[in-house]
Amino acid sequence: MTSPARGADRPVGPAIVADGLVRTYGDVRAVDGISFSVERGEFFALLGPNGAGKSTTLHMLTTLLPPSAGHARVMGFDVVREQAEVRRTLGMVFQDPALDDRLTARENLEIHAVLYGMPRAGRRDEIARSLAWASLAEVGDRRVRTFSGGMKRRLEVARALMHGPRVLFLDEPTLGLDPQGRRNLWEHIARLRQEGMTVLMTTHNLPEAEACDRVGIIDHGALVAIGAPKELVATHAPEGGDLEDVFIALTGHQLRDEAATARDLMMQFAKQGGEHTR
Amino acid sequence: MRAGPPVIGRFGLAPAVIGVMYKREMLRYGRDRSQIFGAISRTILWLLILGFGLGAALREIEGYTYAQYILPGVITLNVLFASLQSAVAIVWDREVGLLREVMVSPAPILSVTLGKLLGGATIAVVQGSIPLLVAPFIGVTLTPLNVLMAWVVIFFMGLTLTALGVILASRLKTFEGFGAISNGVIQPLYFLSGSIFPLRGVIGGVGFLQIPEHLRDELRRLGIYTIGGGWFVELPIWIQALVYANPVSYQLDLLRYVLLGFQQLPLVADVLVTFALPFVATFVAAAAMRRMMRQR
Repeated sequence: MTSPARGADRPVGPAIVADGLVRTYGDVRAVDGISFSVERGEFFALLGPNGAGKSTTLHMLTTLLPPSAGHARVMGFDVVREQAEVRRTLGMVFQDPALDDRLTARENLEIHAVLYGMPRAGRRDEIARSLAWASLAEVGDRRVRTFSGGMKRRLEVARALMHGPRVLFLDEPTLGLDPQGRRNLWEHIARLRQEGMTVLMTTHNLPEAEACDRVGIIDHGALVAIGAPKELVATHAPEGGDLEDVFIALTGHQLRDEAATARDLMMQFAKQGGEHTR
Repeated sequence: MRAGPPVIGRFGLAPAVIGVMYKREMLRYGRDRSQIFGAISRTILWLLILGFGLGAALREIEGYTYAQYILPGVITLNVLFASLQSAVAIVWDREVGLLREVMVSPAPILSVTLGKLLGGATIAVVQGSIPLLVAPFIGVTLTPLNVLMAWVVIFFMGLTLTALGVILASRLKTFEGFGAISNGVIQPLYFLSGSIFPLRGVIGGVGFLQIPEHLRDELRRLGIYTIGGGWFVELPIWIQALVYANPVSYQLDLLRYVLLGFQQLPLVADVLVTFALPFVATFVAAAAMRRMMRQR
């Protein structure tokens, strides 16, 4: 994106610092003392099985969840004490689309512009630029309901970039996309790398993780390994292995079946016609 | 060029944020035809069919026909549906909609909530106006002033009920249909508000006996209200208690006063509940939204 970065930052230190982050739900420790840092301009992936604590970590870093213990900073701002600054400096793409699908792409972007206090003058151009970035200029006035999964995702990434964030958080960005949609989105994300954006993503997808500068592997709420993909392979799967071997070596063969969450139930309901069945 | 600060604390007021959230509600309403059909069908079923059907047996209540008596009740029913539908949509919105995007933004939660509530209240006014269109056909003459005052009451009623819906929805873990809300919330609030039967119960509502006017007056002084050829007695105490505990009773009573000039509860209580409660409810709803997002 060509617009200048507007999010605030403090000029020293890493882009993201997590220091002993803990999140408990009753007796369950969803995140159990995670520490790592992400340098400015780095592409960093959090890799882990289902329920390992990836999304919970992301939600603490993006101020959505207060940590039960520990600290975190994004662009030098404390996620608890300087919540407003942190929110302004980051862009977030959630695991499931967070769009209003009764509204058009343009209307969704307009809401974002207002929520982030972007100046009224130039908003139209800003929206047009975002639509162009997402290759959605032709369909800006179509309701999001009619979009494919890939189109929704590109719209969400474009939206997350609109207010000029310094750090981008992507929660499973390519989940549920077909190979074409996946590749297309990945090309869009790769462009950000050339522009020096800091990106923290969670993923299941090993080739995507392999393409990142560094990878942190999470299991049972704790960080079990961190480093460049090549280093990890060299350390944990030295005999011609790849990142998948590292992943299995560190997190085991056990299947991670989870009970259906409230969201799963709603998604199922959505498939049957959802909100529009009354 | 930096992003301007819309944040004046999490409970700050940002007019642009209120405006855009309001606009969103209105756009969504405009694109959902089923809501208008609901309002029309409720008007026909309750006001025309029940109104004239029961009206054939109950000749009058305090000089008003049964259809006239339930007109404010049917408006209230539409307001209940409009408000709760728009409020309960946040359960959906939170899991698979725009709400997460809103919650991760720096926009103050009070403004976000206000946009939502004002939207719900406006939809309530539109939906609640549909029975008003039928008023001339059931013999209620409305002046522009009546209508204006009714809109004010409906608006504040919608505000309170949308806030109530938001508070409720913030505690719902999952949402698989509107039926539970309709049966568990809307109908009790509706039936226990003096909407379809007056606070003093009906006995002998069949109009084959004429009670002389002076006897009616005397009975009224004793707190017994005559109807047609019969008279009213008090409702069972437990129903009375529920009606008095229901805030909708007071809002509806004020609406009936504005439209028909007839009311049954203390007017001061009506005005207080109708115009003070929305302010309290708004803050509680904003706190509930904040709490909901933090507990995920």
